[in-house]
Amino acid sequence: MLEEQLKKIRSAERISSAAVITALTTDFFTLHGDRLQADDPAVTVGYGCFHQQTALFVGVNRGATLQQRLDYHFGALSPAGYRKVNRGLSQAEKFGWPVITLINMPGAAADVAAELNGQSQALAATISQMGRLTVPNIALFLGEGESGGALALANSNRILMLENSIYSVASPEAVQAILKGDEPQDLTKYLPMTAAQLAKLGLVDQIIAEDKQTMVRIDQALQQQLAELTTWSAVQLQQQRTEKYLTVLAKFA
Amino acid sequence: MSHLPAVGTWRQCPKCQRNVHRLEWGSLQICPHCGYYLRLTATQRLQQLATEFQPLPEITAAAPFAFPGYQAKLAQAQQQTGATEALTAGVATLQQQRFMLGVMDSHFMMGTLNMIVGARLRQVIAAAKTQQLPLVLVIASGGARMQEGILSLLQMNTVLAAYDDLNAAGNYTLNILTDPTMGGVSASFAFAADTVIAEAGATIGFAGKRVIQKTSREPLPPAFQSAASLYQQGQLDAVVARTDLAAVVGQLLRLHQRK
Ligand SMILES: [Zn+2]
Repeated sequence: MLEEQLKKIRSAERISSAAVITALTTDFFTLHGDRLQADDPAVTVGYGCFHQQTALFVGVNRGATLQQRLDYHFGALSPAGYRKVNRGLSQAEKFGWPVITLINMPGAAADVAAELNGQSQALAATISQMGRLTVPNIALFLGEGESGGALALANSNRILMLENSIYSVASPEAVQAILKGDEPQDLTKYLPMTAAQLAKLGLVDQIIAEDKQTMVRIDQALQQQLAELTTWSAVQLQQQRTEKYLTVLAKFA
Repeated sequence: MSHLPAVGTWRQCPKCQRNVHRLEWGSLQICPHCGYYLRLTATQRLQQLATEFQPLPEITAAAPFAFPGYQAKLAQAQQQTGATEALTAGVATLQQQRFMLGVMDSHFMMGTLNMIVGARLRQVIAAAKTQQLPLVLVIASGGARMQEGILSLLQMNTVLAAYDDLNAAGNYTLNILTDPTMGGVSASFAFAADTVIAEAGATIGFAGKRVIQKTSREPLPPAFQSAASLYQQGQLDAVVARTDLAAVVGQLLRLHQRK
C-alpha cells in the first residue's frame, strides 16, 4: 500500500543521505555555497573516497527531527542548492569522478525567494548538466522524489531505488487533489510510481531490498553499476542517457 | 461550457468588466477599453506570427494510463479547441523568412506537457536541425500534465536535451513566453533559447501562487511572477506588447540569418 510506503520513507528512522555518505566514503570533503548567493543546507555536495576512487556525492538532506527538517526546508532545494550541485558536477567532470545522487525530497523549493532567485533556470541548468555529463552518474532514491526538483537530480545513466521508494510527477497528495470528489485511494492503481512499477517500465535499473543489510546492498549495487559505466566513453555515457529515457517513452508511442 | 468566445457574441472583459463585441476584440484579442489581452488560441497565434504555415506530420497516441476522468477531459479539450493536442508545430513564414514554429495552446488542458506535446516538441526541434532553420516556440503551459504521471516528467529532460542539441548545432532559438509559463515547462526548455522574450502581462514562474501561499504562507510581493517583474530582475531579454510581437520576431530572425 502506498500509504504504508509513504509512512516508511517519511519517517525519522529512514536511511539518510548523510548515513550513506558516512558509511560508504572516507576523507569526505563538503562543498559550501553556490559562489553567488547562499549555501543551501537542503543538499550536501561533496567528494570522498569510494572504493579506492574519488566520487562526487549529491545528497538531499530531509532531516529526522522537526528542527532538522525546518533547518533543511524538508529537503526542498533552493536555486542556490541546484547551483551548488552544478558546481560539484563541473568539478566531477573536470577530474573524471563518477557522480552519485541520493534522493529523498518533496521536490524543489516553492516559495517567494526561490522564484525571485530563478528556480526555473536553476532546475533547467541542473537537468541539462546532468544529462550531458561526460562522467557516469547514478541516482539512488532513498525515499520519495517528485516533480522537476527530483528529476534534475535523477537525469542519470542508472536509476536505483530502495524498494519502498517512489518517483512521481508530483506528490501523492497533489495527484490525489486532481481526483476531485473521489475517496482517497491507492494512486499506484492509476499511475506507476513505485520502484517495482518503474522497473517494469525500464526506467529503474535496480531495486535494492530493505532489510538489515540495506547499506551493504547499496554499497554493492553502486560498485557494480559503476564498474560497468566506468568502461564507457564520454560519448557513450551521453548517448545512453538520452536513449534511456526515449526508450521508456517509446513504449507508449 | 466552452471558455472560448463563441462566434458573433459579446464577451465581458475580465479586467474592466465592459462588454466587448467579437469584432472589437479583433484578431489579437485585445480589449479596446483597457488593453487587456485574452489568451490566444494556437490558431490565432499562427495568424499573428505566420503568413504561411505548413504543419509537420501530426504525432498522436492513446493516453498511456487510465487516469480517472482523463479521457473525458481530453475529449472536451479536443472538442473546444478543434486541435488534437496542446501543441501545433510546422514550418512558418513571416516577412519572407522561414522558420520552425511551435505554438502551445493554454485552452487545451492549460497547455500541459504530456507524451504527445513532448513528442511534438522533439519533432519540431529535430526538424529545425535537419532543415537548418531557426526555432521559435510560443510557450503557454501550466507545467507537467499530472494525468500522465512520470511520463510527463520525463518530457522535461528529453525535450531539454533535444533543445541543447539544437543550440549546439548553431541554430538560432527564440522562446516567447506567454500567459502562463509555469512548472515543468518553465523549469526545462522555456529559458533554453538564445533569446527569451515574454508577451506583456504573462505570468511566468516555477511554482504556482496558490502552491506558494499554501506551503509558505508568506505574502506575495507586488507584480509577483509577472513578465514586467522578471524583466526587471534580469530574467528576460524583453517584454513585448502583443501588437509588436510579429515585428520583433521578424527583426530577430533577420538579424540571425545565416550567411
Ligand atoms: Zn477591458
